[in-house]
Amino acid sequence: MGLGLLASRAIRPFNSSSSSRLLLRTIVSKPELQSPESSAAAADACPEPDLPPRTPLAGARVHFPNPEDAIEVFVDGYPVKIPKGMTVLQACEVAGVDIPRFCYHSRLSIAGNCRMCLVEVEKSPKPVASCAMPALPGMKIKTDTPVAKKAREGVMEFLLMNHPLDCPICDQGGECDLQDQSMAFGSDRGRFTEMKRSVVDKNLGPLVKTVMTRCIQCTRCVRFASEVAGVQDLGMLGRGSGEEIGTYVEKLMTSELSGNVIDICPVGALTSKPFAFKARNWELKGTESIDVTDAVGSNIRIDSRGPEVMRILPRLNESLCTNQEFNKASDRLIKLGLRPNNIFLPETYPTALFYLELRLPALAFLEPSGPSILFISFFTCLSLFIPVIATSVDINEEWISDKTRFCYDGLKRQRLNDPMIRGADGRFKAVSWRDALAIVAEVAHQVKPEEIVGIAGKLSDAESMMALKDFLNKMGSNNIWCEGTGTQPNADLRSGYIMNTSINGLEKADVFLLVGTQPRVEAAMVNARIRKTVRANNAKVGYVGPETDFNYDCQHLGTGPNTLLEIAEGRHPFVSAISNAKNPVIIVGAGLFEREDKDAIFSVVETIAKKGNVVRPDWNGLNVLLLNAAQAAALDLGLVPESSNSIESAKFVYLMGADDLNLDKLPKDAFVVYQGHHGDHGVYRANVILPASAFSEKEGTYENTEGCSQQTLPAVPTVGDARDDWKIIRALSEVAGVRLPYDTVGGIRSRMRTVAPNLLHVDEREPATLGHSLKPEVTQKVNPAPFKSAVENFYMTDSITRASKIMAQCSATLRKK
Amino acid sequence: MSFTLRSVKVPPNSVNLEEARSRVFDFFRSACRSIPSIIDIYNLDEVVTKSQLRSTIAAEIRKNCHVTNPKVIDMLLFKGMEELNNILEHAKQRHHMIGQYVVGHHGLVQDLDSKDQGLSDFLKNFYKSNYF
Repeated sequence: MGLGLLASRAIRPFNSSSSSRLLLRTIVSKPELQSPESSAAAADACPEPDLPPRTPLAGARVHFPNPEDAIEVFVDGYPVKIPKGMTVLQACEVAGVDIPRFCYHSRLSIAGNCRMCLVEVEKSPKPVASCAMPALPGMKIKTDTPVAKKAREGVMEFLLMNHPLDCPICDQGGECDLQDQSMAFGSDRGRFTEMKRSVVDKNLGPLVKTVMTRCIQCTRCVRFASEVAGVQDLGMLGRGSGEEIGTYVEKLMTSELSGNVIDICPVGALTSKPFAFKARNWELKGTESIDVTDAVGSNIRIDSRGPEVMRILPRLNESLCTNQEFNKASDRLIKLGLRPNNIFLPETYPTALFYLELRLPALAFLEPSGPSILFISFFTCLSLFIPVIATSVDINEEWISDKTRFCYDGLKRQRLNDPMIRGADGRFKAVSWRDALAIVAEVAHQVKPEEIVGIAGKLSDAESMMALKDFLNKMGSNNIWCEGTGTQPNADLRSGYIMNTSINGLEKADVFLLVGTQPRVEAAMVNARIRKTVRANNAKVGYVGPETDFNYDCQHLGTGPNTLLEIAEGRHPFVSAISNAKNPVIIVGAGLFEREDKDAIFSVVETIAKKGNVVRPDWNGLNVLLLNAAQAAALDLGLVPESSNSIESAKFVYLMGADDLNLDKLPKDAFVVYQGHHGDHGVYRANVILPASAFSEKEGTYENTEGCSQQTLPAVPTVGDARDDWKIIRALSEVAGVRLPYDTVGGIRSRMRTVAPNLLHVDEREPATLGHSLKPEVTQKVNPAPFKSAVENFYMTDSITRASKIMAQCSATLRKK
Repeated sequence: MSFTLRSVKVPPNSVNLEEARSRVFDFFRSACRSIPSIIDIYNLDEVVTKSQLRSTIAAEIRKNCHVTNPKVIDMLLFKGMEELNNILEHAKQRHHMIGQYVVGHHGLVQDLDSKDQGLSDFLKNFYKSNYF
């Protein structure tokens, strides 16, 4: 909520017909507020204003499950249709009126304790707290009357009574809700001369800094911790002016989502510890990008100052349409158009949106932040068609994991900045790109084609993997894979490696079977979604794998494949839960890809799915939860090694950011090229280092575990003499005499289109088309060895997080032992 | 900078291109005449010859050969004279001279020899920087 926006809203006259009010703003001193009732009566005497149509506030949406449940309310005399059960505050949002609030948050339960959202409702004796009041048919809501203004001003005065005036040294300064709203709605003077209260700060661990005197007891953090994060760490202590937020006994906040309390705190009580006193928010440049530390692909905003990444914040990315069936229709619209006389005419977005606003003011939805301009209901009765983007992109709601949020300091440490060659003494010597590429190309030509091996790392983008595959193929080798997919990955059927239900679709499930996966550490956002489902639908969760702690009720079924066999054969009590479920979901962890008997295990899982009716035409509940950002795109591009033991016979190994690879079996005389951005595990064995750019420095395509391709954008310049990954391979191919035919990102993307066109449909989830039934019979035997956990340490999984000091502190203090 | 401004007088504008042209030649000649003293001041005799410096001056002037507006030429001449004065007043140091007029803008690493022939524009740009 920008300050300017709020201020202009407050300044805007609520009645355009009386021009005298225009000049009558209102920092304070208000003859009308002295006797609100009489001036309200005077306002009523004015003729009903002809208000301009308003657009709903960002993110506000109306979805009518059944149209007969729609009710009509009037917000400032302006009629809006909303579904039954919405609150007054939501109705105002649909009408385009922003109500000031502190405790209300759309993704948390309603507390109604800050009283900032008071509005006047006709025939109600007192102002009502709009966030907690359900809207009733025909309700006349007034948000801009003297009564409402006086109420807000009074609430503001009470809040500021005990809030310190330390904005100049507060990290929230500039993006503080209290600051903004006191400018817009507060009084211009205080009447309190007493001392302000002070509260002892709490130690919540290495991530969240607390200045508890600033707290206004909105309880958002308490509700977040207990509802979303699923840890009962925070609570409210004391009564009256002794009320404070705390952990009761000295205790750290151990949730993997704890950083989100920084975002939801409306004041500076909870701020980021690593970011403390580092920068002001108005100095920062925001770049909308994608997180790569896990396979979820959380939508993030990278805030940078100059060449430095200062912080990472979540970005809201949700579209309005969640109706998958509708989108799958074969006659999906591709062009935007108007139909004036039953003739479809292509049209541009501005014209169409203007038309839409004109015709349906209350139901026009503009989403300013992306390409997904959607329109949800009453589609056919309108003469306007807007193409709808494939499926909803709603990946991380508005939360991100602590690893995503705080890994950024790893981008400044251990960086490779010059091409280097290992000399005879075993030390690296910086050389020019010309020399480095010449040596690599020369060695690559000295070995036999089948001795060339290329391995893409877990942070590789699709463009560079495409280039690497093309380069190796031109050199005559086809031994290329992405780390983490195992030696014999199944890249033939897309449904065999993506999350078919989609992250959003998990919310419809009522039974979860987790096989060899610990979503809490492998994909914290997916786990948050499962928790949400468990809370909302009372979904049952059973897991097979090593014993771990979940933040929701779940049942430990067993540790290894034997339990799976029992379930498949119907000998396990969990079978009844699956078969009785309406929308059962099975999630298989990608850690199983590394097992020798993975085909056998997958066929057992498919048997369970078949018996439990998990895969139906209207519901696909068989999922794979990938581990790394690069995996899905790598399998889509067909990065599959020709032989499973190519490492043992390799003479030339090209590691493109591959660090978590066991190179013990590599022959001693093999030549290893490491292309990457961090001096991590891969560098120890490398002969040549080619410095590349990290995800915050390049434009790259990543596909997340549900098959949604998204793009990162460069936020900061590259470090030293580093180059983008695909450019290095393109340059190397030319030096080696097998020049790749693309010179630009556009060129390489059109090459990708011929291999995996879904990677170019950015921000769209492309579901798999063919089911599991096409797989050949498996003859492999299941090995009864228990499943292992795929991620040892949640906070350190890749080269960036391993280089991060904050992540090291987290692993030392917060890691579950 | 004050002594520079003192010594460089702003002449009246050239009335036409011809006059501007002759002024450029005058400037070139005066610059060439000061080359021996420049070499003397900055101890450049071991790194550069007089003829090399002469051609550097000529190249600097030829950089602007496309300019036809006499006013612009006058302005450029003024800047040139200012620079020459700075040099003669020892307002620069030896490495400034070497960096700007001896090595040139290509930098010290100049392997633009036969190796680069036949390379694509992509590779040439790649060797220069990441952003192209």
